[in-house]
Amino acid sequence: MKLTTMALCASVLMGGIAPVQAAGDPKAGYLKTSMCAGCHGIPGWRTAYPTVYSVPSLGGQHAEYIVSALKAYKNGERNHPSMKGIAGSLSEQDMEDLAAYYASSYSGPAK
Amino acid sequence: MKKTMFFLAAVTLGVSFQVHAKGNFEAGKAKSTPCAACHGEQGVSTVPSFPKLAGQHRDYLYHALKDYKTGKRKNPIMAGQVENLSDADMLDLALYYSKQKGLSLKY
Repeated sequence: MKLTTMALCASVLMGGIAPVQAAGDPKAGYLKTSMCAGCHGIPGWRTAYPTVYSVPSLGGQHAEYIVSALKAYKNGERNHPSMKGIAGSLSEQDMEDLAAYYASSYSGPAK
Repeated sequence: MKKTMFFLAAVTLGVSFQVHAKGNFEAGKAKSTPCAACHGEQGVSTVPSFPKLAGQHRDYLYHALKDYKTGKRKNPIMAGQVENLSDADMLDLALYYSKQKGLSLKY
């Protein structure tokens, strides 16, 4: 086979199997939930006094919405001290991965 | 006499907790028509930037609506939507959406 043809085929194949970085990966997100699960993963968990309400459920929420919420907490558009701290520590990729995890039905590695 | 009064006071206090309105499901369902435009039928939004409401915690939904109303949470679309909602409306809507099937707790 000609070298250029081989090179072209190789680059197409590599493009096909390369992981997509922009969109979130639920499996990567699963590994990043340690800061989230403590509030969002505990049945009946609520915020602290004086404004007490249930911590919102994330399972099945739109990934895009979760990302926009995290960004809003990070830049101060949405005001919440705990979320600001947590979102502030997340990169955009982290946010995408976490959002993809919560939006999906993936709940961890198969045993 | 004192014991009786104390007992009656305690019972009244207990009963009063039930009176704290948690909303009316049917009223909430009726009021949710304009919400469906963005948040979807029964709160299952099909537009990724508009959050699903179905199955969300009742008190969280109520809290969010109140925050939109007071301006503590800023969103131009929602601000317009809550302008005409009374406190009872918000309780009703929150109850209705919380009873729908959709979101769930995820660890």
